[in-house]
Amino acid sequence: MLEGTLVRLRALEPEDLDREFTWINDREVTRFLSMRYPTSRAAEERWLRDRPANDFANGLFLAIETRDGVHIGNVNLMEVNPEDRKAGLGIMIGDKQYWANGYGADAIVTVLRFGFGEMNLNRIWLNVFEFNERAQACYKKCGFVEEGRQRQHYYGQGRYWDVVVMGVLRDEFDALHGVEAGL
Amino acid sequence: MLEGRLVRLRATEPADRERVHSWVNDPEVTRYFTMRYPAAADDWVWLVDGPPNGFGFVRLAIETKAGLHIGAVNLYQTNAEDSSAGLGIIIGEKDAWSKGYGADAVVTLLRFAFGEMNLHRIWLRTLEYNERAQACYRKCGFQEEARLRQDVYRHGRYHDLVVMGILRDEFEALHGAAYVEGGGDA
Repeated sequence: MLEGTLVRLRALEPEDLDREFTWINDREVTRFLSMRYPTSRAAEERWLRDRPANDFANGLFLAIETRDGVHIGNVNLMEVNPEDRKAGLGIMIGDKQYWANGYGADAIVTVLRFGFGEMNLNRIWLNVFEFNERAQACYKKCGFVEEGRQRQHYYGQGRYWDVVVMGVLRDEFDALHGVEAGL
Repeated sequence: MLEGRLVRLRATEPADRERVHSWVNDPEVTRYFTMRYPAAADDWVWLVDGPPNGFGFVRLAIETKAGLHIGAVNLYQTNAEDSSAGLGIIIGEKDAWSKGYGADAVVTLLRFAFGEMNLHRIWLRTLEYNERAQACYRKCGFQEEARLRQDVYRHGRYHDLVVMGILRDEFEALHGAAYVEGGGDA
């Protein structure tokens, strides 16, 4: 369990299936993510069941819970590379009533602190659609810097969109948030 | 192919099997290791064959510059979070002992471990009576860190196991920057 200020991050459990199934079929949620297709409950159940345990090689996939224990979304570190000491970040706040309340930023800072402070990573990157301005503002607050823009890299809602690439380095995160926490 | 000064390190091939088989059945060689039992050709096949080299495990053949296959060197128990790995080396061809090949192979592999794999620490374990190896490792920059008392039973009695380690900064202070364009002077 990783403790943040507003949220805690825990491993996903089979009981999370119903919530996951609802969120990933909610187009208002998934329009900001790279999921396009309606997904069956069976497929989602299979995905939850077959997921390997969280570790360096497989990356992290964590449930975001409020301090009251409400599961509101997920955050993950993927494509973890030991030589380059980097990983990609993904996040989804599936429960829309929890948008724009600081939960996302708190979840991100918490998982970044784990990535830098426990996994010994040097860099965490992410991709975000150009139209997702709320997310870009959130990422910048967490310490991410825009590094590039992949032009017309994503097609959705009838047209091409740019994908913004952002990254944060360990030293930058340490200066902003401190890495050595909770010893 | 990793180029040292006296040796090069290359990927192992199935054809290396016979030579390795003869090494691991030579008691003059194996007295320095924990290989105790008569071994079939396939028992030590992991020394020459297995999954491709990667972060998790590196196994390389040591060849002289003239192309003679004299031994093997490997990195194992690689840990991504702790950025560390263990080093093992065997010079199976006894004629090649005490010629500097071992030290050159070790430094060449360390250069790869620090300069390409981005590791922070390399450790090794060696039997207390393997004084030639310990002198070689010290020359390469390893320090003795621990002595596991009576950790290994061989030749009718218990022996201490010596644990040695080297950190990236220590390697670079001794040998220069880990990454050198076109190979370094080991």
